[in-house]
Amino acid sequence: MGMRDLVEDLARRRTRIAELGGPEAVARQREAGKLTVRERLARLFDAGSFVEVGAHATHHSDHPSMAGRQTPADGVVTGFGRADGRLACVIAYDFTVMAGSMGRTGEQKCARIREMALTKRVPLVWLIDSAGARIQEAAGGGWFAASGYLFREEVVLSGVVPLVAAMMGPGAAGTAYIPGLADFVPMVKGTSHMALGGPPLVKAVVGEDVDPEELGGSRVHTEISGVADLEVPDDEACLRVVKDYLSYFPSSNLEAPPHVPGDDPVDRREETLLDVVPESPRRAYDMHRVIERVVDGGRFLELKPAWAKNILVGLARLGGHSVGIVANQPLHLGGALDVNAADKAARFVTLCDAFGIPLVFLQDVPGFLVGSKVEREGIIRHGAKMLYAVAEATVPKLTVIVRKAYGAGYYVMCGRAYEPDLIVAWPTAEISVMGPEGAVNIIFRKQIAGASDPEAERRRLIEEFRRLIDPYVAAGHAHVDDVIDPRETRGVLIRGLELARGKRIERPWKKHGVMPV
Amino acid sequence: MAEEVRAHITGVVFQVIASVGDRVGAGDPIVILESMKMEIPVEAPRAGVVQTLRVSEGQTVQEGDVVALLD
Repeated sequence: MGMRDLVEDLARRRTRIAELGGPEAVARQREAGKLTVRERLARLFDAGSFVEVGAHATHHSDHPSMAGRQTPADGVVTGFGRADGRLACVIAYDFTVMAGSMGRTGEQKCARIREMALTKRVPLVWLIDSAGARIQEAAGGGWFAASGYLFREEVVLSGVVPLVAAMMGPGAAGTAYIPGLADFVPMVKGTSHMALGGPPLVKAVVGEDVDPEELGGSRVHTEISGVADLEVPDDEACLRVVKDYLSYFPSSNLEAPPHVPGDDPVDRREETLLDVVPESPRRAYDMHRVIERVVDGGRFLELKPAWAKNILVGLARLGGHSVGIVANQPLHLGGALDVNAADKAARFVTLCDAFGIPLVFLQDVPGFLVGSKVEREGIIRHGAKMLYAVAEATVPKLTVIVRKAYGAGYYVMCGRAYEPDLIVAWPTAEISVMGPEGAVNIIFRKQIAGASDPEAERRRLIEEFRRLIDPYVAAGHAHVDDVIDPRETRGVLIRGLELARGKRIERPWKKHGVMPV
Repeated sequence: MAEEVRAHITGVVFQVIASVGDRVGAGDPIVILESMKMEIPVEAPRAGVVQTLRVSEGQTVQEGDVVALLD
């Protein structure tokens, strides 16, 4: 055959590959409300930028059930391209080909992409729509005994390049630990599920009857388990948020996060910040209002918004520079920290620290929850994770004490001893080891009991104690750097970031610390 | 079926906001607890009519206790 014939043959092969698992399977994909894998890639990557790797791959199984079967791209489209101008590698499972199951050849392609992402320091995005391991190929120890390297390699990639696992269909067993190890996990509502064992396996092994949505739908993982970061309405929104998330991150831990200049003035004074915190120190308010009024353009990409709602974490920009925001939320549990809030914050702080994204802490924390319930849940262990992550982080750290700064809550929200590059307080700040009520009951127990009117004595002592928690006491000892007008918050933070950009902190050599997980 | 409104935190009932027979919307406070130096509302998980109130002011409730039932 001459070159022209060969090229025609290649074009025919490409056409067949582009037909995915065939018209019926593609129709079923659309009926389920899902885009096809190639439609997804067309939305993820800038036009014409996608380079496919391994398009001609197919299965090589000699299992009788696989005889004569076509598996275009072996059920997973892999390659690299530019998403909003920036390089990213992709592993996109194709549910139309044997339910996107992970075959041996397909996994070899994925390994090739992981190697590209690692050696070229390029973010890796998985689009997961897969039934898990291809049992026809994996059953028995022949191949299985050597497998599992995908997770080990993902761990090697962790903290080197951003890892995003978008759940756009099922992700069971083999494809469930991919999001488990990834940095960012959006889930499409209604069509995506993830579980270590899918419903048929659950039925067979533990006898439970449960549907995929109840077992591992987006509500379960964004509200109850905390495994996923965001619930998104459809495939389009999912791919948009993947790009939005990556826009805050450098391509690898060796680069600085991208600077995105905007037109929001550094010294924008937001008058409404004077009205956010209620007059009564016991009243709740929505900390979102503070964040939105301070960051560039009011844009805050909140992660895990429906789980552990007593703490807010997410990405924003200040003066065009990426920041990770950790803020107590008085609207839920009064902003008190519990096991899930500590986990959520610890993980987010570790994420930002890995990629050089400065942290901004907004404090209004009455403390860690106390009581037998949280002790049994291991609040000491979980709280220690947050303490560990904040203490370990060497990225720029800025702290604003908006209101309450009590006990260990003050510490883990980057109090003065946790190396904040700047720590300032609003005039509403209350800084103390514990609240006046608790402290007075402990310190003056006998004096109160012995008073002619114990209740009046208690109230008098509480009022007296309240004067000690005033921010000018901490500022008077130079333990906070300044007391600021809330309207100055944005300007102060941006200047603090400028100061901290050259931050270098040396730690003693160690293999790694012992993370209190 | 009646919907149980549960406390999400252990605390003392500071104020009972709703009355039996009141129509409430999702997210409306039913009672306010005092806990962790804060007034923390216990909110209606969905819209409905308050059928029963199980707590009174000054009473201690544990996390998970039912404070009210909605129709």
